[in-house]
Amino acid sequence: MSDAPLVEVRNLTVDYVGANTVSRAVNGIDFDIRPGEAFGLAGESGCGKSTVAFALARLTRLPGLVSGGAVRFMGEDVLSFSAERLRRYRWSEVSFVFQSAMNALNPVIKVSEQIEDAILAHRPKASRAETLARAAELFELVGISPRRLDDYPHQFSGGMRQRICIAMALALEPKLIIMDEPTTALDVVVQRDIIEQICELKARFGFSVLFITHDLGLMIEFCDRIGVMYAGELVEVAPAGAILTAPQHPYTRALGRSFPPLSGPRVRLEGIAGSPPSLSALPEGCRFSPRCGEAIPVCMRLAPELRPTPATGGEAACHLLS
Amino acid sequence: MTDILPAITTTPPRAELTAPTQRELMAELGLKPRSRLLARLPGWAQLFVTNKKGLFGLAILAIFMILALLAPLITPYDPYRRAGKPHVQPGVEHFLGTSRQGKDNFSQLLEGSRASLTVGFIAGFSATLIGLAVGISAGYFGGKTDEVLTFFVNVSLVLPALPLIIVLASFIEEASPTVIGLVLALTGWGWSARTIRTQTLALKNREFVLAAELMGEKKWRIIVREILPNMSSFVVGGFVLATIYGILAEAALEFIGLGSPNSVTWGTMLYWAMRAQALQTGAWFEIWPPAIAIMLTGAALVMVNFAVDEITNPQLAATRRIGPIRRFLRRRNRRADFV
Amino acid sequence: MAFLLRRLGFYFGAFFVAITLNFLIPRLMPGDPATRILLSLRGKLRPDQIDAIRKTYGFSGSLWDQYLQYLWRLAHFDFGISTVNFPEPTASLLFYAAGWTLVLVGAATTLSFGIGITMGIWSAWRRGGFFDTFFTPINVMLNAFTPAVVALLLWYAFTMQWPIFPLGRAHEMNLTPGFNLETLLSVAWHAVLPVASIVIVSFGAWHLGMRNTMINLLNEDFVLLAKAKGLSDRRIRNRYVARNAILPQITSLALSIGFVLGGAFITEVVFNYPGLGKFTLNAIQTRDYSFIQAQLILLTMSVLVANLASDVLNVILDPRLRSAGRA
Repeated sequence: MSDAPLVEVRNLTVDYVGANTVSRAVNGIDFDIRPGEAFGLAGESGCGKSTVAFALARLTRLPGLVSGGAVRFMGEDVLSFSAERLRRYRWSEVSFVFQSAMNALNPVIKVSEQIEDAILAHRPKASRAETLARAAELFELVGISPRRLDDYPHQFSGGMRQRICIAMALALEPKLIIMDEPTTALDVVVQRDIIEQICELKARFGFSVLFITHDLGLMIEFCDRIGVMYAGELVEVAPAGAILTAPQHPYTRALGRSFPPLSGPRVRLEGIAGSPPSLSALPEGCRFSPRCGEAIPVCMRLAPELRPTPATGGEAACHLLS
Repeated sequence: MTDILPAITTTPPRAELTAPTQRELMAELGLKPRSRLLARLPGWAQLFVTNKKGLFGLAILAIFMILALLAPLITPYDPYRRAGKPHVQPGVEHFLGTSRQGKDNFSQLLEGSRASLTVGFIAGFSATLIGLAVGISAGYFGGKTDEVLTFFVNVSLVLPALPLIIVLASFIEEASPTVIGLVLALTGWGWSARTIRTQTLALKNREFVLAAELMGEKKWRIIVREILPNMSSFVVGGFVLATIYGILAEAALEFIGLGSPNSVTWGTMLYWAMRAQALQTGAWFEIWPPAIAIMLTGAALVMVNFAVDEITNPQLAATRRIGPIRRFLRRRNRRADFV
Repeated sequence: MAFLLRRLGFYFGAFFVAITLNFLIPRLMPGDPATRILLSLRGKLRPDQIDAIRKTYGFSGSLWDQYLQYLWRLAHFDFGISTVNFPEPTASLLFYAAGWTLVLVGAATTLSFGIGITMGIWSAWRRGGFFDTFFTPINVMLNAFTPAVVALLLWYAFTMQWPIFPLGRAHEMNLTPGFNLETLLSVAWHAVLPVASIVIVSFGAWHLGMRNTMINLLNEDFVLLAKAKGLSDRRIRNRYVARNAILPQITSLALSIGFVLGGAFITEVVFNYPGLGKFTLNAIQTRDYSFIQAQLILLTMSVLVANLASDVLNVILDPRLRSAGRA
């Protein structure tokens, strides 16, 4: 029972439609999220990790377009949901915490109403007293005084606003919470607090998390498994611990070297030479090959596919591994 | 939580999951790859040339401008003198008939396009120039300069233009088209000053401006070299709007008799037609030609403004691609995720 | 509060600029304005009246004395004596005309704002759809069709070709004045065409303004979050997008009153409607400067009051402005 994945992503392809080009932001990626698991997506900015997250929640903004593949949530095909099924899927099964709490709350609506809104949309029969009590409960859960429910977003600090967003995400006890860089816009001390809070809540309620951040250290600490993306493709999936200790893909190795370790000896940090390819002018073969120090001739001709890597129990897409 | 539907366990065949290639997708969405000729133009020009509304508007304007330029050569009669009997029906001799005063309507229309377009462009150009100077100074120099200038920008926005112009024009007896153009510029610069100021404030803190400041560039050089080129589309947008305002307001002022009745413009043509009770006496050919000319010019400028808007705001340009995306999804029995 | 006080201060400043311009314009023009005014009254006056007028118009003494006198008279709503309807004071004529203009402008603004905003919401929500691609450009083009032309067109079509509506005036001649049904119906019936011509040339601006603001807002995270929460489309559209997009439109509404008044002036001329526009035109033709100047002051005042009202409304609707003073 618990082996069945919560979310299955198969060959997911997302395009952005420009004036006279189509950019393939996500090119046929596969991964699973298991119940109760924290799954991380890592990669440089623009690699498509947020695009995957949005597609998963069926929130791709126009002119973006999920042009192929499948997303299955507990076996159901999310992409072909009817309007009504989709509305139910949102928030009560998958909720979202955005990067910028600054813009995630409507500035002219009281925060209480924005939380109650989410509850009422799924429990239309709930009374005002019930929704208000739930909102107050949620506020206490994230350590904000319920007296402030009637305030407007601009009256809270950035960290508090992000807590409100997290409280809101918990409102209907969803099975999956997608967190798209939830702490990037906050200062370091507040970041820590928020992550600890998320860990605590996760332990208490047992939801799965799809976690996206630039901060590899934070991700390794928080997540169970991590997928590494490069130029719209998944290059490696591995248990969080193995990402730094036993990286299989050259890109994962390079990424690991460019982040400071949280503990242990200080090492020299290295950036990755070159920059990611433009999505409208991709190289042939492996997309990382032009920047890869270990590339062999076949890398320039043939795109590698994800294959199991026994060393980590994960998967990686690299010709060097076969 | 409670409403778990029976899970669908059959995996759809892999082929169904495969996305079309980018090339196939472009074909299905009706996107054409950028032609090589087009790719050589600068970015804004590419956007403009591929904008049908903008091109259509520009074409109409071009026709009017050519007619205006050639007016002295192609007018069959002297537009300022009697050319026949009053209210002659349109025909071989008088293409659009004659006015109550016996002047040839077609010749007046062509001659009028000269004055009307000139006034519109003078008003638009001067208003943009004032707006640019005030907006950039206010935005770039900040402090007291900004406070004082912004006060005047807001005053010019808030004061009702037409009543003020009426006072001005009524004391300048029989204002010539040029004078009207300048008066309009003096009352119509507020909008572009405001946009330019906002834009300058945004640009002022960008790296390339800060870098130039650190290198000790002179302020006016920074304005001319770094700031101006980065807001050309806002300047063009302001110019188009001010020109629309200029042409329409000139016609309105002359229509109510504030212009010089001896000049020949679309506005004075309407004024005389109205006074001659052209509609009541069945002389439609005296009143509709200038009316239609004003409507067409206004519409053309609006279309150009649409194109400029889409260039300055990519969100607006993106709307054109949303229809095809919705249809793509509908064919696959799916719907868009987001409005 | 601090915000509103600041705005109030600004409106006083703006009003001062307007009345000063109004004072200076006739005095900076070539020729002696007093003589001009007297010329326009030729034959109507006895010599002692001429003296009286010279005095009331305040064209004697130093510029500074004249200015103080002018302000003093303004403070008492004394706009001088109308030369057209001599010896009626300008003020009574002005307020009579302003009443009718208010009817036109009020009805037209309400309608065009309502229609334009509704269409703007609709076309932003279904942007790129048929309604949006087809009607947005057309409605905005109507905006550039200038009131003169549209009013003439409607006038010709519905009073000459198909005489459905009355030829002019604000109501039937033989009415018992007052607020009875017959009068109101007659007034409404006479206002249909003038109001329609103002609406036709102005609602496109609201359509485009609301549409573009909404399209920009649709890209905001809070709208995406509303969608992610599974709210109904209607609730997202009205409560999360339109609610925010209406704020800047309210500000533009107040600023646009000046333009709408311009349109109303011309419409009144075409439909022979007894509002400010028609009387101002008369005043222009007869060089009744006191009326021309008085209309500017009255309209400036109304526009400033409208702007103040829009500021108050914005403060009520936007919590950010309310606490701006506190922060």
